[in-house]
Amino acid sequence: MSYSTFNQEQNNPLTEPMFLGNSVNVARYDQQKHSIFEKLIEKQISFFWRPEEIDVSRDRIDFNKLTASEKHVFISNLKYQTLLDSIQGRSPNIALLPIVSLPELETWIETWSFFETIHSRSYTHILRNLFSDPSEVFEDIVINEQIKIRANDISKYYDDLIFYTQLLQTHGEGDVVVEGKTHTVTQREIKKKLFLCINSVNALEAIRFYVSFACTFAFAERELMEGNAKIIKLIARDENVHLTSTQHILNLWQYGEDDPEMKEIAEELRDDAYEIFMTAVKQEKQWAHYLFKDGSMIGLNESMLCQYVEYIANLRMQAIGFDAPFENQRSNPLPWMNKYLVSDNVQVAPQESEITSYLVGQIDSEVNASDLGDFDL
Amino acid sequence: MANTFKVTVNGGPELAVDATEGTLLEALEKHQLEMHYHCRSGFCGACRSTLKSGKVRYTTEPLAYVRKGDILPCCCVPESDLDIDH
Ligand code: FES
Ligand SMILES: [Fe+2]
Ligand SMILES: [Fe+2]
Repeated sequence: MSYSTFNQEQNNPLTEPMFLGNSVNVARYDQQKHSIFEKLIEKQISFFWRPEEIDVSRDRIDFNKLTASEKHVFISNLKYQTLLDSIQGRSPNIALLPIVSLPELETWIETWSFFETIHSRSYTHILRNLFSDPSEVFEDIVINEQIKIRANDISKYYDDLIFYTQLLQTHGEGDVVVEGKTHTVTQREIKKKLFLCINSVNALEAIRFYVSFACTFAFAERELMEGNAKIIKLIARDENVHLTSTQHILNLWQYGEDDPEMKEIAEELRDDAYEIFMTAVKQEKQWAHYLFKDGSMIGLNESMLCQYVEYIANLRMQAIGFDAPFENQRSNPLPWMNKYLVSDNVQVAPQESEITSYLVGQIDSEVNASDLGDFDL
Repeated sequence: MANTFKVTVNGGPELAVDATEGTLLEALEKHQLEMHYHCRSGFCGACRSTLKSGKVRYTTEPLAYVRKGDILPCCCVPESDLDIDH
């Protein structure tokens, strides 16, 4: 019942479910129930990068050239992404580690969350370069109404799961009264909360970043804020790996390749899963509206962004076994996005030169003879 | 010509694809089809397509979830004539 950091029970991780079986004891990867998570760990680690390697110094000049409405777009997106990665840098750990039962999945969760902390650190790197004191930007994240609505919708599923797991692990199954409120704690109830939580995280990784990505890459198409775009390109690549992991979890459950009870729950809560996704879609469209409330930017407007959200939502929904909800948005309204979402070929050893993370630091530092004008050396 | 196969996409005309020249995704792009993709290396699932008939071979192991009947054109080549929905 209570969590142990080293479960002394002799268990066989090959027969455990992904979650809510025995807690993991030996961190061994020589045998795996779901080897995909070990492969995702390797993939994600091969993508390691450091924000400091990316030169964002030119962005400061570009930023000052942006119109007021473009500045609003840029900064608001950074705030929203900061929120998302603040949540993702801790929540998979806090919510999922206490109930995970497979070593490869446990380590995947830790790896995933760690990369979200790299994303968070990169926002500080970007903002420090733009403002001598970025405090105002950070402080607004917990005040800004638009961001708060989204924060609440994302964190509530995590918080609910965390709370019930705490009750289970301290009191066991049964009715527990906390501050005058009775909570009925059962393993099945927690599995339902887990299912909803993973669906919410899946929606986050699947679409919540894409309005913001589109704006970043639209600036880059105009050769503006390119340091920032390089960072976002690396973040987007990571997010695609995270997304694949949540899609695997959902599919392993619903196609009966893991816990049979989770298969039942996936059927029982299918409509809720659909709703969670569609709510995220709606909120992203509202976000596009908020971004462009004072005016569009060259190459992008609210309706194009909404079409793009629908386009992406179709792909993402099909990946977890739903029909495409937006039948008339089957083609990509922002084809230029794809060139920023392509991953570099990383099948080779990480020291090879074609890997972005080894090149990112040097891109902007080259000086041409012509840049020096008639300066005499 | 043993490596050239006929590929039908979304019920369109038969397209000739040489399995020795790049991935199925690249081949279909050469035929001017609008293809869905992000990573182009098998981990994001954006290129996911339905294989209605035929056989493919993966040149890179896919990390995205591949359901029965699905293929990821960004990391496979045809091994027979194909009929796919994309
Ligand atoms: S484009 Fe990412 S899996 Fe094919
Ligand atoms: Fe992230
Ligand atoms: Fe993520």
